[in-house]
Amino acid sequence: MLEGRPATITPAPASRQRALASVPAPRAKPIAGRGQLWLAAHFTRLPLDALLPGTGQARAAVVTAPDDPRRAVVARNERAARQGIAPGMSLNAALALVPGLRVEERRPAAEAALLDRLGRWALQFTPVVSLEPPAAVLAEVRGSLDLFGGAMALVRRALAGLSASGLSASLALAPTARGALWLARADLAMTVTRIDAMPGIAGRLPLTCLQWPEDTVATLAGLGIASVADLLRLPRAGFAARFGPRLLDELDEGLGRRPAARRRHVVPERFDERLDLEDAVEATGRLQPPLERLLARLGGFLRARASGIGVLRVDLVHRSGAPTRLRLALARTACDVAHLRELLRERLGRCQLALPVVAIRVRSGVLLPLALRDAGLFERGRSANPDATARLLDLLRARLGHEAVFSVLPVPEHRPERAWRIVEPGSTASLPVPWHAARPARPLWMLAEPQPLENWEGALVTGPERIETGWWDGHDVRRDYYVALSRAGVRLWIFRERPPGQGWFLHGVFG
Amino acid sequence: MSGVAELLRHPALWRGGGASAPETVPTGFRTLDACLPGGGWPLSTLIEVLVPAAGVGEIRLLLPALRTLATADGGAPRWIAWLAPPHLPYAPALVDAGLDPAHMLVIRPRAGLDRLWAMEQALRSGACAAVLGWTGTANDRVLRRLKLAAEEGRTPGFLLRPSVHRTDCSPAALRLALATRDYGLDVEILKCQGGGPARIERLPIH
Repeated sequence: MLEGRPATITPAPASRQRALASVPAPRAKPIAGRGQLWLAAHFTRLPLDALLPGTGQARAAVVTAPDDPRRAVVARNERAARQGIAPGMSLNAALALVPGLRVEERRPAAEAALLDRLGRWALQFTPVVSLEPPAAVLAEVRGSLDLFGGAMALVRRALAGLSASGLSASLALAPTARGALWLARADLAMTVTRIDAMPGIAGRLPLTCLQWPEDTVATLAGLGIASVADLLRLPRAGFAARFGPRLLDELDEGLGRRPAARRRHVVPERFDERLDLEDAVEATGRLQPPLERLLARLGGFLRARASGIGVLRVDLVHRSGAPTRLRLALARTACDVAHLRELLRERLGRCQLALPVVAIRVRSGVLLPLALRDAGLFERGRSANPDATARLLDLLRARLGHEAVFSVLPVPEHRPERAWRIVEPGSTASLPVPWHAARPARPLWMLAEPQPLENWEGALVTGPERIETGWWDGHDVRRDYYVALSRAGVRLWIFRERPPGQGWFLHGVFG
Repeated sequence: MSGVAELLRHPALWRGGGASAPETVPTGFRTLDACLPGGGWPLSTLIEVLVPAAGVGEIRLLLPALRTLATADGGAPRWIAWLAPPHLPYAPALVDAGLDPAHMLVIRPRAGLDRLWAMEQALRSGACAAVLGWTGTANDRVLRRLKLAAEEGRTPGFLLRPSVHRTDCSPAALRLALATRDYGLDVEILKCQGGGPARIERLPIH
């Protein structure tokens, strides 16, 4: 955590400036960053904060790299740091230092989600926010300085907000986005306001804050280059030839010699409206009219944006306590309000209201582009219509529950009870190769569990098919399967355990 | 005479025999096709199959037609809904039978009323190539709804019910009763719109 007041840095000493002057620059005067001021926030413990929000301080905790045989420590909290755990240490070494260590595996998806939230948080300071994955947020704040009472006040406010949510960050301000990022990574609490001061200040930074590829840094270290200033003394043409023009561009961007375009962080648009009911409603049937008003607004909202939704949330707000939440996950991007209305009617019919409802809130998920479909000129009514299938799926699930509708897929496995799995209907997972070409027939109906057959008296038709496998995972089967005909004339798939003696079991019916 | 011919052309008038043959799909069994008007299972209506016990061969009887329906129209596979089946359809056997298991929509509602509702929705949506339903008890009024839904969605609905419902009144366009004999299947046509009762013995189902 950054502590104390950020210091204003004056231009570098004259000796440094002479060295810099010898580096040939594309332009004599800085062209980028004029008038800009970037706030960079580098989240040093993002892998940890993403997994253990707020509770990181209670116990020593580390996050380890997921696909690393050493399970090297990626991030650790304050307490673990005090006990001597450093990033890059192997997990065994860390556990030797702190036996009761809490260990989490790194989850990049959680980190990306947290960074996205931090990007939204930064939008309170300025509309120009840009993410720098994996662990930094940049914001252009020049225009907001007066509003927040100056750079110091703004930084203090940002730090207060972050520490209130238990996040640890180092902040820095600089006239270029990349320059601010370097300073933040170096954990230098600095405010640099003048662009011509950038080369001098950046020169003192270690190479690690550039976050260049490891082999590049190793090569540079081999050349005796330890700081950015050393780097700037290298001939430009040679540097570009050896390490590629991209790294040179990065340097120029950081020092303001080259304009840098950054992707703006834009919060995706969503529909979120609330309707207060005049009287508290206790019957779900009476919720339909106000809900339809909200859905009509949603329809207009979607039409205006030529978009659809994949998820719809409806909160039935009560006078006290948590709202009753309904969530519709659609099989296909939808913009058709009539379809949504039908789904919600089914869902509301299933819903039990514990308390009267005083308001309804309808929220959409992220807006999705609609897939347009050509209507064939000679299309026949019978052809497969993906919309009709998706509607049917949505409708069935709205009333019966999500798990009540599914498909099955075969799995290449010899044990019959494990040779299939439940999948999402219409999933395009490729069918396994028919590796069992010579395999005897299988029954169309499979019993959930083999049933013991008392006093079996039918006739065996074909068999035995011996299945003896699975000893390695503790669920081994040793069975002789037969196709049999019961006295009622039903074709059955039955087996006898090996060695024989335990009697017959029914496993399937040929249907 | 011309007045009678004009009357007979009226769309609300249904004629028992000699009416235009319905759209059908071959059953895959020549002897059975020969007994059905149009030479196969009628599409867009309700077909009732009465079985003495689950598993006597009712699925093998329907399989050839299901294969044809699922891959009709050449291109993308179409869905076949299995509504409240007595057991889970076994995926490797479906593949063996030439059906794409990912396009078999297994629907397992908990309550009996939900079964009828789900079958009606599946038939009416027109999204499925065929709907197989094990709905258990259902009265005449409910079956009529299912038939209307099948006509509206132009989807054949196969209703598989126990033989005890044989004497019930049913609006289904085609009613069959199955019985096993030796290694074959006896199929008795109890009711057939546009045709008459018939009996096919030892249909060779495999």
